[in-house]
Amino acid sequence: MNRSKKINHRIASILATLLLLGGAVVIMIPLLWTICMALKPASEMYTDNFFPKELAWGNFYEAVTSIDFFLYLKNTLMIVIPNLVGTVVSSAIVAYGFSRFDFKGKRVWFLILLATMMLPSQVTMIPTYLIYRQIGWVNTVLPLVVPAFFGGGAFNIFLVRQFMSGIPKDFDEAARIDGAGPFKIFARVLVPMCRPVMTAVGIFTFMGTWNDFNGPLIYLYDSKKYTLSLGLAFFKGLYTSKWNLMMAATVLVMLPVLILFFIAQDYIIDGIAISSGTKG
Amino acid sequence: MAGKGRSGKVQSRENRNGYLFVMPWILGFFLFTLLPMVFSAILSLCEWDIVTGLSTIEFVGLENFTSMFKDPKFWQSLKVTFKFCLITIPCYQIASLFVAFLLAMDIKGMKIFRVVYFLPSIIPTIAATMIWTRIFAQDGILNKSLSVIGIKGPAWLTDRNTALYALMIMGLWGVGNTIIIYLSGLQGVSEELKEAARVDGAKGWQIFFKITVPMISPTIFFNVVMAVIGSFQYFTQAYVMTEGGPMQSTLFYNLYLYQKAYKEYQMGYASAMAWVMFIIIMLFTMLVIKSSSFWVYYQNDDKL
Repeated sequence: MNRSKKINHRIASILATLLLLGGAVVIMIPLLWTICMALKPASEMYTDNFFPKELAWGNFYEAVTSIDFFLYLKNTLMIVIPNLVGTVVSSAIVAYGFSRFDFKGKRVWFLILLATMMLPSQVTMIPTYLIYRQIGWVNTVLPLVVPAFFGGGAFNIFLVRQFMSGIPKDFDEAARIDGAGPFKIFARVLVPMCRPVMTAVGIFTFMGTWNDFNGPLIYLYDSKKYTLSLGLAFFKGLYTSKWNLMMAATVLVMLPVLILFFIAQDYIIDGIAISSGTKG
Repeated sequence: MAGKGRSGKVQSRENRNGYLFVMPWILGFFLFTLLPMVFSAILSLCEWDIVTGLSTIEFVGLENFTSMFKDPKFWQSLKVTFKFCLITIPCYQIASLFVAFLLAMDIKGMKIFRVVYFLPSIIPTIAATMIWTRIFAQDGILNKSLSVIGIKGPAWLTDRNTALYALMIMGLWGVGNTIIIYLSGLQGVSEELKEAARVDGAKGWQIFFKITVPMISPTIFFNVVMAVIGSFQYFTQAYVMTEGGPMQSTLFYNLYLYQKAYKEYQMGYASAMAWVMFIIIMLFTMLVIKSSSFWVYYQNDDKL
């Protein structure tokens, strides 16, 4: 009885591994194929071979020079970096307020915070656009950057607050006895302890801003101000036939995110699990 | 909670410090959420061509809504979005749950599989659209593979019968997020409970449907709600790959909203559309929440 159970278990796990393996191959083909396309010389672009016979590393150089890659990269970073700073700092500050002080109306504010997570951004998108237009911020990075300094989004605040609430208040108490005020407790005690969740928030913010297409599309008209996402879409319109160059540019746009993912995959995967309430 | 057994002085200090720290968000809430919401509600009752400036704003009552309900393109965008929801939500959820279930089986190399399955969902949307535009091309890799088994594939993205399905297939590639959430939910299911059922003679599938599924029902609930919101916000892929075509077969709700606002500059109409979208999402979420008391099982009721 026990032995047949063990055999059953073995069969099940072999079957599961085979299924997962099959799926994994299917998932990886588009990526592998993209890399192969990016390395194909123009002469092989329409041939049937999956792997390039000859590696055309020059495609990357050509892709970078035929679109204003470094300009777009600079523009993207000008949006990504302030967002990163603004979101990480301000979400931690607000989370501290929610997790450590019993101020009047806290429950109501926190419920509002949760409710705003459900609000589709389209409802506020048009009026915010009109307001920015009125104050002359359209076609600048300001609309894409400034909001990050006001709490950095309900989701991030929620994530940090959950983590912070898990830290015993004894630590604050000990610092208070040593004469630390609320600012010092925040900066010296809680921020160092919240490093994991703040890292996760930072990673999500980086990826979200790096990948953002809709925001820059609405606010940036001038092609000199385009981000990489916009630049790539623009490039698609210009060089419809140079697929190898397009794929080379695509690889370059994906690369930072992929590197970040391989370095910080545990933070990313845990962060997603926490956000759904299944963990943490 | 607040003020219980405390001196007034302590409470006022708590108030001062609390509001001091949450102030950035409260300000942001007023500036970037509440004010625009009010403005948007007013705008949805007005007609306004943005090019001529604020002076030409004109109150038209519910005209935006009535003309929306007469607009065949509006109905088409709603149809496309609902069709996408109805097909992809069951497919994506079942596929994700299935993969997560396999991943949770404690097999060798689970961590590597987890990375592989998750990977596509972190790839920038714009990069994914580039890749899949090429995959779906008439002479792309998909049709080449199909021709090996003797099927002549369509021109996926330029054929109005296949374009929407092409986008659905592409979406399936990126369900890694959902898989991770299910995996985490499955790992939280108590082993003792499953073992107890096993001792009582329950079979594998019985354990799955009678214990595992009810235990992860809050996760299913979360994922379904997120998927509905995601479908109504679906934009970049349709904008870049098909531009809503061919023949409006991929005219997603959000894409039409964008076109109305930023191509035709009908801000009033677009705001009205945004509110209809909000109401649909709210109604749907409420429906799911209401029905959830029948099918969602919360282990402890302090979810907040």
